[in-house]
Amino acid sequence: MTLATGFRRTGRAVFAVLALLCLLAIGILIREVVKELRFLSSASSDNVHWTLSQAEVEFLEFRNAVNWARTAPETPLSTVIVEFDVFYSRTSTLANGSLYSSLREDPAFDAPLTEVRDRLNAMIPLIDGPRDELRANLDDLAAQADEMRILVRKIATTGLQHFALESDALRTSVAVTLLRLAVLTGLLLLALAVLLMHARRTAQQTEKRGKELAIAYARLNTILNTSLDAVVVTDTQGRIQNFNPAAERIFACRLKDVRGKRVGDIMVPEHLRDAHEAGMARFAADGDHRVIGQGRIKLEAMRCSGETFPVELAIETAHAGEEQLMVAFLRDISHRVAAENELVMARDKALAGEQAKAEFLAMMTHEIRTPLNGILGNLSLMEDTKLSSDQSRYMRNMKISGELLMRHVDAVLDVARFESGADKSQEDVTHLGHLFQDIVDSQSSAAHARGNALQWGWIGTPEEWVEVDSSRLQQILLNLLGNAIKFTREGRITIEAEVIERGEPAKIEIRVSDTGSGIAEADLARIFEDFQTVSHQVSDSVGGTGLGLGIVRRFVQAMDGEIGVESTLGEGSTFWLRIPVLPVESPVEEAGVGPESEAPSDLEILLVEDNDINMQLAYEVLVGMGHHVTEARNGQEAVEIAGKRPFDLVLMDIRMPVMDGLTATQKIREGDGPNWDAPIVAFSANVLPEAKDRFAAAGMSDFLGKPLQRSELAQIIIRFCAGRERRVKLEGNTPLLVEQKESPMEKLRHRYMTETASLFEWLAELPEDNDAIADRAHQIAGSAAAFGQPGVREALLLVEQAAEAGDREDLVVAISEAQAAWKAAPEPSLVG
Amino acid sequence: MYILTERFALAAGMLLFVSINAATAAELDAPTGPVLLTISGELANTNGDGTAAFDLEMLRALGATDITTDTIWTPGTITFTGVELKTLLDHVGASGDEIDATAINDYTVVIPVSDAVEGGPIVAYEMDGELMSRRDKGPLWLIYPYSSNSEYRTEVIYSRSIWQLDRMAIK
Repeated sequence: MTLATGFRRTGRAVFAVLALLCLLAIGILIREVVKELRFLSSASSDNVHWTLSQAEVEFLEFRNAVNWARTAPETPLSTVIVEFDVFYSRTSTLANGSLYSSLREDPAFDAPLTEVRDRLNAMIPLIDGPRDELRANLDDLAAQADEMRILVRKIATTGLQHFALESDALRTSVAVTLLRLAVLTGLLLLALAVLLMHARRTAQQTEKRGKELAIAYARLNTILNTSLDAVVVTDTQGRIQNFNPAAERIFACRLKDVRGKRVGDIMVPEHLRDAHEAGMARFAADGDHRVIGQGRIKLEAMRCSGETFPVELAIETAHAGEEQLMVAFLRDISHRVAAENELVMARDKALAGEQAKAEFLAMMTHEIRTPLNGILGNLSLMEDTKLSSDQSRYMRNMKISGELLMRHVDAVLDVARFESGADKSQEDVTHLGHLFQDIVDSQSSAAHARGNALQWGWIGTPEEWVEVDSSRLQQILLNLLGNAIKFTREGRITIEAEVIERGEPAKIEIRVSDTGSGIAEADLARIFEDFQTVSHQVSDSVGGTGLGLGIVRRFVQAMDGEIGVESTLGEGSTFWLRIPVLPVESPVEEAGVGPESEAPSDLEILLVEDNDINMQLAYEVLVGMGHHVTEARNGQEAVEIAGKRPFDLVLMDIRMPVMDGLTATQKIREGDGPNWDAPIVAFSANVLPEAKDRFAAAGMSDFLGKPLQRSELAQIIIRFCAGRERRVKLEGNTPLLVEQKESPMEKLRHRYMTETASLFEWLAELPEDNDAIADRAHQIAGSAAAFGQPGVREALLLVEQAAEAGDREDLVVAISEAQAAWKAAPEPSLVG
Repeated sequence: MYILTERFALAAGMLLFVSINAATAAELDAPTGPVLLTISGELANTNGDGTAAFDLEMLRALGATDITTDTIWTPGTITFTGVELKTLLDHVGASGDEIDATAINDYTVVIPVSDAVEGGPIVAYEMDGELMSRRDKGPLWLIYPYSSNSEYRTEVIYSRSIWQLDRMAIK
């Protein structure tokens, strides 16, 4: 650009100089020509040649007159005088005329002329004197004339020669002038040609630029006209200057209708108008702009029909000559906004659905686990009774099925817990070898039962002590091992561990290989997805929820690891996982209280449980372990009992009538009652993590799941009571063991039957107290299912509902139906 | 050339002489001094023999006109005094187109009558206030105002500037 401008400037300067030179040349030319013309037109010379020769002629006339006068004495002498005067006059002209001044500078001309003039002047006295004297001297005069002849001749020839030379010079000068004229004409023509070429080139450039401009303009117009965005051009006052077709379409108005109108009046919705005007005023005042050049912003605009709609807007300023313009690009985003709103709604719905699902899942697992507890607990108790061999076999089968069902429920709970994000990764220092050994030990009996050999080992140098989420790793391996055992019969199952990357963190690969049925290639891709079960022909294999590997995958990913499988159908499978671990120094072994240490017995325990069956089960377990148990039916009772004497441990159910476990715990913790600092352990079927948090917040020390497991209970007792000073000093050493004539279950059944019978007797009298009816019906309904009388349970729940609703008519109907159900019900028995 | 012109002038003079009788003549004053100029040919007014002869006093009586000019024959600027050719021709009632002007030495030149305009040539008798002698191109010299106009500085005009003029024949 600058270079081109430079060239153009130089070019202009060159042409200016050229034009100046041309003008100068023309000026000089004109001057020369005028000079020559003037010289030629105003002849400075008379006919000099003639004049010179005339001088000789007149001299000869004078000489003739003298000679004639000598030969004819009678002739008057006036002719001689006249001829003298004429010749004298001629010599005067030669001596004085400006025409001959250059000639006179030549001594060859001037010397003879001077001599002739001197001689003539010498003759004047004689010529002007008396005629006689003149006549007497005629001979002398003739002699002098003879002498002068050669001089006059010399004057004439010298003059002629001089003027011939001068004429030559003149011709040369004319020739030179003409030559100059020719050269200058040539130069002039050349300059004209150059100017012409320049003019032509300039014209071409102008034409080319014009075309380019036209093309650019057409292109710009095409862009504007085909733009999908509205383009609105206004002046700084907001008056519309231009409006492209897209703008006409979007705003539903014609350019001719809006040109010159103010944007604020026709395109800005009324509620934004004040802000718009304020912005325009601000811009006009000090050029302050919040919108211009800020990229796309979202606003509302108004169509000519008055309808408002959302737009995306970008404004820039531009200069067209002196004028400042504002160019607005607008996009109608009403469709997009609508779509976004739909998406947001869909997402909200999905989230609500997800929430509902999670709640449903939690509730379902709770609802399933509670009766399952009953089944498994009773099975445990039944094992201690006398059974025939068939009964023992059925018992075992039932127990296996029950435990399997519990595992499935736990798997679903695992997923729910993981998805809820509550299950955070927890690294701890672990000895990998011990971990593998423990797993192999725990699974070896299951493996042997199917004729499988199970072993594990390191490949290469082991990395023993590491920091890793050991509980998850354990769960992963148990799951994989469980699968391997499940799908392998009379085969070999191997766990191999190998460090594949040293450093911090290091990376280890763990492979669980089996020689089992293998997995079809088509199934390999989906086995890590949820609810995927592999169809198989192994008749004795047990189906699953299809959640196991899904949980494994989640855990591995949560540990920043990866997992995969290689398998050949009929030959076996290898599941591998690679996880990062942080190698650590082996911790100093400390002799602490191991799980093996003896759990203390003979403790005073307060058991709070509203459900009779569950109460009885827990009671049996605790008493069986040698503890003293005090029962409380609800939170209120528990608070009262706990206020009277100290306990070593309180087991507190959560969901109870009158007062729930959380409130009761808070009340016991408050003040300075004898149990304000006693360990209070939640005792609930609700094992969701958020529930545990709630328990802890209420002041509970720990959590114990239902059904009550002896081992878990022992752990809790060790943790809170072992090695401590006993909180309760017993008076006497006799345990409060009741002599039992019947088995505990039989006693329970009897009690259930008695209580139920008394309920119906009471109900038959149609008591007035609805709340009492609801409570007692609820109590018995809670036990009825456990005693194999679901019909009674359903009927009593209806009675409870009717009593709570206070509808006497419904209540009467419900009571009569419940009585019918009670009569129709099978003999109560404690079977799941 | 000089010889030819002289003969031609002589023949013309004889022809003019014949035709003068037919003209209506008005009598001019007769010269009392030496005659400086004799005009012949197509004249209305004469002073004997169909010619008009002028002495110095008669020329002076026609009114004097000055021309200050350079000439190619003289040094410096000179003021010539004389009678305008037009005045002279009007005075003699000349009716021809051309004038054959002849000098003492019979040098003759043809001057068109159209040269005789106001502000044009004069028949000069004084140079810088002094009468011109025959030895100094006198007594009469036809002077054009050379300095006033470049058209008076051509060879034709120079050739018409006859000095030692003593006769004019109008035809």
